Amino acid sequence: MGAIGYLYRKTMINRVKLALRKPMTYFYVALLLFYVLILPFSLRVFASQLNGDSPEGMVAVLTVVAFWMIPGNLIAYAKRRGLVYRNSDVHFLFPAPLSPKRVLLYAHLRTLVAQVLMNVFAAACGGVVFGVSLWRLAAYFLFSVVVENLLEGSVMLLLYGSERLGERQRAMVVKGAYGLCIVLAAMGVYWYFQKGLNMQAASAFLHSDMVQMVPMVGWYIGVLHLLFLGPTAVNLAAAAAYGLLLAAVLLGGWRMKCTGAFYEDAMKFAEDYEEVIKSRRQGDTQKRLGKKRKLGKAHVRWKGQGARALFYRQLLEYKKSKYFIFDTSTFMSLLAGIGIAYLYTRERGSGFFETFGPFVIPVVSGYLIFVFTALNGKWAKELKSPYTYLIPDSAFRKLMNATAMQHVQSLVNACLITIPGAAVMGMAVGEILLCILFYVVLSANKLYALAVAEEAVGSALGRVGRQLFQMLIQGIAIGMAAVGGAIGMAVGGVPQGYLLMDVFLALFTAIFMVIATLNFYKMETA
Amino acid sequence: MLRRIGRYVMLQVIELSKKYGKTLAADQVSFTVPDGRVGILLGPNGAGKSTVIKSIAGLLRFSGRVFIQGQDSRELEAKRNFAYVPEIPYMYDALTVREHMEFITRAYGAELDENELKALFARFELWDKQDKLGSELSKGMMQKVSICCALIIRPKVILLDEPMVGLDPEAIRELKAVIMQLREQGCTILISTHMLEMVKELWDVTFVMDKGRILGTYAREDLDNKDLDALYFSVTQHAQSGAQNGGETWEQ
Repeated sequence: MGAIGYLYRKTMINRVKLALRKPMTYFYVALLLFYVLILPFSLRVFASQLNGDSPEGMVAVLTVVAFWMIPGNLIAYAKRRGLVYRNSDVHFLFPAPLSPKRVLLYAHLRTLVAQVLMNVFAAACGGVVFGVSLWRLAAYFLFSVVVENLLEGSVMLLLYGSERLGERQRAMVVKGAYGLCIVLAAMGVYWYFQKGLNMQAASAFLHSDMVQMVPMVGWYIGVLHLLFLGPTAVNLAAAAAYGLLLAAVLLGGWRMKCTGAFYEDAMKFAEDYEEVIKSRRQGDTQKRLGKKRKLGKAHVRWKGQGARALFYRQLLEYKKSKYFIFDTSTFMSLLAGIGIAYLYTRERGSGFFETFGPFVIPVVSGYLIFVFTALNGKWAKELKSPYTYLIPDSAFRKLMNATAMQHVQSLVNACLITIPGAAVMGMAVGEILLCILFYVVLSANKLYALAVAEEAVGSALGRVGRQLFQMLIQGIAIGMAAVGGAIGMAVGGVPQGYLLMDVFLALFTAIFMVIATLNFYKMETA
Repeated sequence: MLRRIGRYVMLQVIELSKKYGKTLAADQVSFTVPDGRVGILLGPNGAGKSTVIKSIAGLLRFSGRVFIQGQDSRELEAKRNFAYVPEIPYMYDALTVREHMEFITRAYGAELDENELKALFARFELWDKQDKLGSELSKGMMQKVSICCALIIRPKVILLDEPMVGLDPEAIRELKAVIMQLREQGCTILISTHMLEMVKELWDVTFVMDKGRILGTYAREDLDNKDLDALYFSVTQHAQSGAQNGGETWEQ
């Protein structure tokens, strides 16, 4: 066995062994199996409601996936992105006397297990949701795992590994991929003007001959039509073009000279990737892969002393950052606020959310905080720094100052999500303020719940285990807040409901906050 | 001159230049490390030493040529002859120390000699760590594994980028002994460092670098026991005063 085969095999085996030693793995596997088994059946109901529970439906779904996957891959490979190397590969693999083409294929090979699993899921959906016959599913599975991998691997070699393509040629490939998207979009617009906008017209567009004539993307879609719906003149021609393309790129990839000029870009990508992963684990969501964060010049007037320095240092960092305290959660809040206002106006009421009555905004806020907001932010970084513990101040003041900016962020998000909807609904000022307070307290609750999880669970259950524990205790707090809301409604009305909901949540948050303070006593407790 | 009379020069760098955007990190760098000698790339932080080492190791695109035993360093045959120890070691999280050694010998087409492996592990105090995963090692341990991986393939040329950083005194002493031993066996060694103390007794030829350029090349036998510190500071200060006076930098 070659070195790359050895590396791949040993890494896989050791990872599996390591995973099997962790109790959480069994929980995740059970969860995954539950979803894999349940999802196709629930999708069948959804597909039949849309009249898409036929092989045509499967082709339509795969066609939509192909629309963005194929141009996306072309762009990534032409920009020498999309292949994940780690710093250990840069250390050992790149300087070794191994063919750079094999090194490229190794990175591609690492996605194979995920691809096989995805295709198993697609085949299962094909059988359960779309009623595709078994032999067609088997043919599709083989095509996806073998033929598609050969094509993608060769295209990747030609684009990522090529030393003939200069910057200009690479830029042209990127433009070409965007061109494919534009052609497909233009066809969609033409179809819309011809047939209108409804499910049947959209489905007819996805199965149209003209889509199958688009180079690369269309040829692949043609093969899908051939596999699932049987031969037609157009899909046979598309499949033949696909075959010719496969032969050409296989030959090109085989014969192409590659001495490893891509190592430099792959090395930079590996460094970026590791940095982004590290940042994400620490809750910093502002770092983007391949994009260097630009920091501007800023200054603050430092006031106070002791733990106050943590607050001003964070403020300085935010002022230097391009978007200040605003991030994706700000955008999501604004979007949700506008969405609530729009739907309320259009439906002349809360429509779909009518069951929640006057609590639409808190319910949407709760969902957004629970699902979308970053788990931790700059405050969590403070726990990793030894200087935090050396500051001569109380643990409580350190916690307050380390998390203060996070609360300011929450306040901004709360205003964005609440005010548009509240204005349209004609809510009273007091209710609006209580609604905003709910968001801020709930955000704080999530923040402190994670700190409680860190304190209570530590590293015993791993990172995801801590998150699950956090979700559990936060779920209890939200549940109690809902009970408070119900009691308030029963006793007095909406304002009392809001008030009790906030009070119940604030009580839990205060308890969490006290426990979270323990993190700031000693570094080893963090 | 590409080749010595009758045989190849082990490591030869000819007019190597490397730009990062508009920054010239290496500017027409040329030097030769003769067979079985220890070459030192000496220079302050940001001098371009790591850029030169990474270029030789094939990690960077550059203009100019690098020959290892007369072969272009990008050729697989040339790569088979040299080992690289980077400044910061990175291990495969899911491979044990022993599996790293197994992997690297396979990659270089070398035989894994159990006795040699035992001796290496004993020398660098890794004997009880061989079943540890990469993710479980401290930085110093990683550096030791990185050095062992470089040695197990029996290289003819070895590139060491700041190899002493992170090592404990015992390991530094061992590494120095290994370098002297490799030298005696005819291996060509290029060490990049700014820690003058660490390489005082090792060097045969020194290349002083600053701002991407080689300021001077010195052979030990030509210097009449002149101290490496004194030499380094005289060269770099001379270059600085030359630049401040608007004159050309001094080159030997």
